[in-house]
Amino acid sequence: MDYHFPLQLFPSFYNCGPPDSVLKNGTGSWGSYDGVLPQTGSGSLSSWAFTSRHQVRGETWCHTEPVLVPFLFPKNAFHRHFTPPDPLDCIEHMQNFFMDHCQDAFGCMSDILGENFNFRSRGTEKHRHVSVWRVKRFLKLLNYKICFRTHKSSAMSSYCRMLSNVVPDIPPPLLGSLLYEELAEQRDHMLFCEGDTGGALAFVPFAERGKNVHQRGCLLYPGGQGLDRLKFRKVDLQHCNGSVSCVDASNSSPVSFQLKAPIRQISCTSLFNDCCVAVRSDHFCGVWRFSETDEPRLLQVVNTNKPATCVSVSPHVLGEILVASESGAANLWTVGKGMQKVRMEDSNLYFNAKSSWRWCEFSAHPRVMLYADRTGVELTDIRVSLCSGHTLFRISNTSECRSGERLILSRYLGDVHPFHHLITTQYSAYIMDERFPCVPMLKYDHMMQSPPIFCHVIPGSATSASTSSTNKVLLGSHSSQEVTLLQYSGGKVGACSSRGPPQALLRPRESLKHLSVQIPHRRDAAANRLSAPVAGLTCIPKKAGSIPGRRECMCVLQLTEAGDIFYQVLEHNPTGLVTSGAPSADSKPRQAATELPGSTRLTAEPPADSQVVVSETSSDEDVIGLTQGVSARMVVAETPERDQRQPSRPSVSSSEESERFRDCRSGLQPRESQSDEDVNNEKVVDDEGAGSSRSLLQTSGKLSSSVSVKWKHWLQILVERNGKKKPRPRRLQHFQIFSKGLLRLPDSEARGAPEKEIMEKLREELKSCMSGRSLLVQRSVSLTAPDPVPLHQVSTSWTDTLSHRLTVAWQGEKAWQAWWEDQLGMNEKTKMAALRRKRRREKEAKRAAGHRLELSGSFTSASDQSELDIFSSSTGWTTASSQGLWSNTEDGEALSQSAEVLEHENQRAPTASTIQTDIPVPTPTAQSVQSNKNDQQSPSRLSTFSLTQTQTPDRTPARQRRSKRTVEDYLSTLTSTQDYPSQADSYFLENDSFTDTPPPPALLHSSQPLRVSMSRVAGPSSGLSQSLTSSQCSQGWRGPSQSSQPKKKSRMGF
Amino acid sequence: MDDLEEHLGLHKHLVDDDGDSSDNSSTLRGKKLRLPLVQPMFVETKKETGFTQSCRMCLEQIREAMLHHRWQEAAEYMACYPQILEDKACYTTKQYKELIWRASTEILHHHPKSTIEDYNIIYERLKHSGFKLYLKVSLEHSFHLMLQGKFEDAKQHLAAAESWRYGKESSAQIQRTKLIQAYRSLLDFIIWSEKKVVLSNNNTVDALSENQSMHNYFRQASVNLKGILSNPGVWDPFILSYVEMLEFYEDYEEALKVLNDYAFDNSFPPNPNAHVYLYKYLQRHGAPQKKLIHVLKNLQLLVPSHELMLEYTSLLLQSEKQKNTQKALGIVLEMLDFACWRNNLDRRLGEHHQ
Repeated sequence: MDYHFPLQLFPSFYNCGPPDSVLKNGTGSWGSYDGVLPQTGSGSLSSWAFTSRHQVRGETWCHTEPVLVPFLFPKNAFHRHFTPPDPLDCIEHMQNFFMDHCQDAFGCMSDILGENFNFRSRGTEKHRHVSVWRVKRFLKLLNYKICFRTHKSSAMSSYCRMLSNVVPDIPPPLLGSLLYEELAEQRDHMLFCEGDTGGALAFVPFAERGKNVHQRGCLLYPGGQGLDRLKFRKVDLQHCNGSVSCVDASNSSPVSFQLKAPIRQISCTSLFNDCCVAVRSDHFCGVWRFSETDEPRLLQVVNTNKPATCVSVSPHVLGEILVASESGAANLWTVGKGMQKVRMEDSNLYFNAKSSWRWCEFSAHPRVMLYADRTGVELTDIRVSLCSGHTLFRISNTSECRSGERLILSRYLGDVHPFHHLITTQYSAYIMDERFPCVPMLKYDHMMQSPPIFCHVIPGSATSASTSSTNKVLLGSHSSQEVTLLQYSGGKVGACSSRGPPQALLRPRESLKHLSVQIPHRRDAAANRLSAPVAGLTCIPKKAGSIPGRRECMCVLQLTEAGDIFYQVLEHNPTGLVTSGAPSADSKPRQAATELPGSTRLTAEPPADSQVVVSETSSDEDVIGLTQGVSARMVVAETPERDQRQPSRPSVSSSEESERFRDCRSGLQPRESQSDEDVNNEKVVDDEGAGSSRSLLQTSGKLSSSVSVKWKHWLQILVERNGKKKPRPRRLQHFQIFSKGLLRLPDSEARGAPEKEIMEKLREELKSCMSGRSLLVQRSVSLTAPDPVPLHQVSTSWTDTLSHRLTVAWQGEKAWQAWWEDQLGMNEKTKMAALRRKRRREKEAKRAAGHRLELSGSFTSASDQSELDIFSSSTGWTTASSQGLWSNTEDGEALSQSAEVLEHENQRAPTASTIQTDIPVPTPTAQSVQSNKNDQQSPSRLSTFSLTQTQTPDRTPARQRRSKRTVEDYLSTLTSTQDYPSQADSYFLENDSFTDTPPPPALLHSSQPLRVSMSRVAGPSSGLSQSLTSSQCSQGWRGPSQSSQPKKKSRMGF
Repeated sequence: MDDLEEHLGLHKHLVDDDGDSSDNSSTLRGKKLRLPLVQPMFVETKKETGFTQSCRMCLEQIREAMLHHRWQEAAEYMACYPQILEDKACYTTKQYKELIWRASTEILHHHPKSTIEDYNIIYERLKHSGFKLYLKVSLEHSFHLMLQGKFEDAKQHLAAAESWRYGKESSAQIQRTKLIQAYRSLLDFIIWSEKKVVLSNNNTVDALSENQSMHNYFRQASVNLKGILSNPGVWDPFILSYVEMLEFYEDYEEALKVLNDYAFDNSFPPNPNAHVYLYKYLQRHGAPQKKLIHVLKNLQLLVPSHELMLEYTSLLLQSEKQKNTQKALGIVLEMLDFACWRNNLDRRLGEHHQ
């Protein structure tokens, strides 16, 4: 019974006073019970039971589709950016203002000064005139992105100094502050638009006739570009494919009324099949009346001086409407009789919230109304006086409000409970009972990011006495597009309790990521359109009905400011298993259950998305997807390809009738699953199976084809419409630099005839090589010496140990190892022996020829052939060279550093050669390598190692004292860490093949730099050939440092 | 602390909530509301490290998943989130602890495999993780046990929380302690009433000792119940149990006093049930009609649509005064203004015009 008051209420303290500034962490009422109430038992302990204020579970409502579905085709809308302006960008906005409203900004002064200004160029200059052509030129330059340091105009700056205070009509500081205010207000308005409170979308259900399958009614929404055309459209909610409910406008074109201003709020009630609709725009309120059979007709329009903030139709008496405006007055408007002021407040009710927003609602008593502002709600008896009332709700500690909390919306819940009111703030939703004012019956944290200014309440149906369904509250926000579903129960005999945590529903802006990928500019246009703030929210509930297998469902509709309406269908899942991760044995799908006509059938499909909830325990067979049901009514399935080709969407410019989707009728039904899933299709689950609940979860990842077709058409039309009217975006022009003559070949004229001949020859040779499919080898190609490239300075300029080590490391593991050995003094003995021998030879040489002593030490030693022999015998290098093959020496210890350098000097050669063999480019590299080998015993080459040898003793002595054992260990660890697998081998293998080429006549000095450059080129070009390994590539890159080193030394040597 | 608040988006809104009376008279023309909007839960701070950033993103995911009721996903993220407590950079982690407690309990509520042990672990861990949360978590823990029907355990937890003391007590803490005591007494009452039933059923030799222990429960309960009833608030279950016990021990004076205070104390909220309880009590004990009418008159002022108004009118009619008859008619007609009564107009009118 409606008049019952709960026998017991949940215990709570009653704290008066202003709200505590309680820090909350945004978790709302998650996880808390917030009080329990005993259900009086009799006798034993077990007969007692408790209920909590926040109950853990509510009903389970699942989406049938993972995205919203568009209801109408996109219409033209004012193109707006839905990101609020940043007031801190004031300078930029001032610039925009100056550009857009130059007449306002500079009108007066430009008239006065204009005739004395001369904008022409220098030639026509008069003496009396101020010549500003330079300024003009500078301003032209401003179109480009320029550096203001290099392109500065002294004339400009002097004029600026002189005129900046004079020229603008409004002083810039004043304009700046005004602009800032305006921007800040715009921003606030975008973040929270209080004018839209209540929402401009409504659904009026028509009386149900018996076992009516369809939920019929009339949808009221604003159309037109400015949302200033009120439309009445008859709609049906149908189970069109057994599983998918869809909104379908049934038969006629909507009745529409053109208004003068955008529609802000639609409020309606129906009594005895007669419906009364009040529409609020900023300064006008109008009342329409219609019924299922009668066309809507306008009854009366009133004008308010101050912007109206609220209009509310009486649920008790048809034709009584409450109108509140920013003046603070609330008027009772009896249609046809006039207005009666019922309440007038200049200030806010409980404290100064600096808000002129007012709201009123009817209550359980037809002569008692609610008067609300941001601070609270009062109940006012219309019959008594203008300024009295008693508090129903106030922002205070009583309701455990937080500081800064403000009332956003109040709604009379007459359908749910005749004494209940819903009051929302930024943080919470309160259920108030007007019989027990001040103390909220229920406080429910909705956890929305932006304040809920729309709400729709669906009363729970008390079909079965034991478990009446919960009352559903849908809250919608403006800019963030959130929709939250709250459930609560009780309020009659039992106390109110919330059921389950708040559930966030789909938002229009999230749709795109579920749809097929769009081209970026289309995607941006669509994203912008979809992120338009919401302007209204309503819901079409649908009872389960008598048909078995059909679930209770509701269709939530959202209107955006761009004029689009989207809907989502939620189905009640009576099993209530939200996250049934573990299927119990009896919940296994039963094979081939009996088919009921019109029942929802669920067929198994492999999981569409790996991220879905039940990934842990479910195997593929347990996962059940959704296809449409009754096979008897199956329409011939259309392939997606046909869908694409088919121009099934109605033409854009056609009449109203064509604007809605007729996919349901035209047979665009979800296709049966593909043939490869036929095996799974055999498994039919009936509705009561626990598996079905999970399947509903699964569908969150899967988009049905009818919906995707709808979206495709929607997006197509949106793009078409955008393409027509979209202004070409202003593109930033680039500052041009004339590059003519900047890049050209130096002295191409000077190149003589011989060069041309060589080129010709080269070309011919290349041609012949290509025709013969052979490689062009450098044999006969001889270009003139190319310009010397500056050498890479490496080793000798850096004398510290680290640099040297690094340099050596570039030459490969051997050299690096040798360097360490040298450094750690491990080759001490051999060195000593070598030195001793050397001295002995020197002595012999002295004896033999005394005059040689006068030459430089390095040259002498280098030219000494016998000494080289000694070295080569120890390294095995000579043997290798005598065979024309560079083999790896086994005895690493025996290698002296100088020999190593030399060896790597030669190892570098194959680097270039491999590259060359892969990419047949005529280079003189090979030639240089050959020359390198030929000249290896030439004095210049040998001077290298004598020099390096003289360097080594400087670094070693400090370390030589170390014990050999530890040093070896140390070295082994070092070598193990540095890992060049088979690098050295590859050198030599390739070298093998390479040595066959006959040595061409060499130009040592000229070829080396060229090789450096070539190997540099070869490094990046390695991508061209597959065969080129990374090691080769790195060798190629190592080229410069290696080759430059001996070159440098040779210079020093000479 | 500042950093933490910033991180959690908990900017204090130092708005003049308490309402400057001097400012109150000023007109509001042209003034637009600057509504303090909800700060997002996850604000990027300047001093954010990679660790806090990943924690913030994790929290965001948890929130998203929980709001969309994807509990499994939320549970997976939640498994990683408690590492935020290891962040040494923030000195107080109370917010995080509360967040972890709330989110993980909610996830457990919806997790198919959650066990009572899981709950116990969460509650116990977080109860002992910081003194600021102790009472709150204790209370919620005992609620959970009560809902599960484990009254003994719940009572044990409540008793432990009752004796818990820490530092200076804030007003919220005091109130919470009182609530804990009251709920403990409510459980005492339940045991008491069980014993009462047992005692009335069988008159065995143990009657005396049973009676003794029953009286003990009464004493324990009555102290706390009387205590909490002195605070303004809605105490429907507490006052009912207290009055029942007082009635059993025939302390009618006290019972009447308690009920009268509950109904007529101005510091209490205007609870219709308070009048209903008083009326029912008076009715049970055969109070004179005048008293009954007095109580119902008060109720009528508060809730003119209350169902007891039918009894009120019948009482008025019984008094057979002309004035009262008129009054009764007025009451009935006022009731008929309300939609809920209008529906069964004929039937009710027939009943009362017999």
